Amino acid sequence: MAASTALPSQEAHNPFASIIQFVPGVLLLTVVGLGGKFIEQSVNGYAKAHHLVIPNIEYVLWAIAIGLLIANAVTIPKIFLPGIATYEFWLKTGIVLLGARFVVGDVLKLGGISIGLVALEISGSLILMTFLGRLFKLKPKLTSLLAIGSAVCGVSAIIAAQGAIDADDEDSSFAIAAILTLGAIALVAFPLIGHALHMGNNAYGLWSGLAVDNTAEATAAGALYSDAAGKVAVLAKTTRNATIGFVVLGYAIYWAGRGQAERVQNKAAFLWNKFPKFVLGFLVISLLVSVHVFSNEQVGALANLSRWAFLLTFAGVGLRTNFREMAKQGARPFIVGALGEILIAGLTLGLVVGADAIWKL
Amino acid sequence: MSEENKAAVAATRLGLSLDVWAVITALLLALLIRVGVLKHVPW
Repeated sequence: MAASTALPSQEAHNPFASIIQFVPGVLLLTVVGLGGKFIEQSVNGYAKAHHLVIPNIEYVLWAIAIGLLIANAVTIPKIFLPGIATYEFWLKTGIVLLGARFVVGDVLKLGGISIGLVALEISGSLILMTFLGRLFKLKPKLTSLLAIGSAVCGVSAIIAAQGAIDADDEDSSFAIAAILTLGAIALVAFPLIGHALHMGNNAYGLWSGLAVDNTAEATAAGALYSDAAGKVAVLAKTTRNATIGFVVLGYAIYWAGRGQAERVQNKAAFLWNKFPKFVLGFLVISLLVSVHVFSNEQVGALANLSRWAFLLTFAGVGLRTNFREMAKQGARPFIVGALGEILIAGLTLGLVVGADAIWKL
Repeated sequence: MSEENKAAVAATRLGLSLDVWAVITALLLALLIRVGVLKHVPW
């Protein structure tokens, strides 16, 4: 993970200082994202001018690749780190705006199918990761974090669970590193598998949203396949994210029952605190579009704003993926994570293929 | 503390969580588009 940066003490009282610290990193995200877009257009323009037939490599891959190259070739100066971390903010803003590309009927249909599949995926992932963690004799709380991270939504879920189950920082770092490494591998593997199996956009998007753990990587894995698949991947992943409170609450109650975490006093407040609010924003925008609050041109503008937000997100995915830092975390959590993820990817692929056969996704 | 955590903490210092800021930003942008301040967003 990224190195730590000391924050000046006056920032606690000065909101503008807090905002200014993000500017260099956000500018870097913009340059990397625009660089990806520029390369895509240049390659396509060259191929067209020379009548070459080459596969279209989307800006998503270029932006991630440029980010990866920078992050792993040089040490990124600390001044950029807070701004790079805002990719999470752009991701969530992009997801809310993406609601413009779904009318409520789509959300109900695909979201309904997603809910059923998400329930199966979460149950399977929790059981599988717990079994593997015990088999490889990982620390019980590290096993819990890996299970939560792989079942629900990667880094956010691990961070949410760390406090709730009173896990060590070290366990949390291990689990996050494993989830991020596997997410980076999924970015390459998933589109290749999807194309090899000739999966449709909806089926592939659903699979990415169900199987890739971190929201940014799930969005990128979907977008790498196609724009339409990226849209569905976000919907499926958002459905998974919505369950975060319930899963973390279950683990908090389990560890509190063993006297190794604080008891949850107010379960409703706990659930609301952990609930990802951007899911509600996504539904609000989708509802507004469905009742024609926006013209067609305005819906197009909202969709494009969402793409710009995702552009910064994908640049951030590359820039914050540092393989040297990940390698320092040790092999065992990674092996458990990798085994679990391969099995979960197979399980969810089976679920999606089955759903596709039944509902014609 | 990771940079992701710091971004979340900095957002919280401004009074709201990162999630809520993202929703507010998106809804504000949607409002600007609706009232015609942002007429065309190229891609």
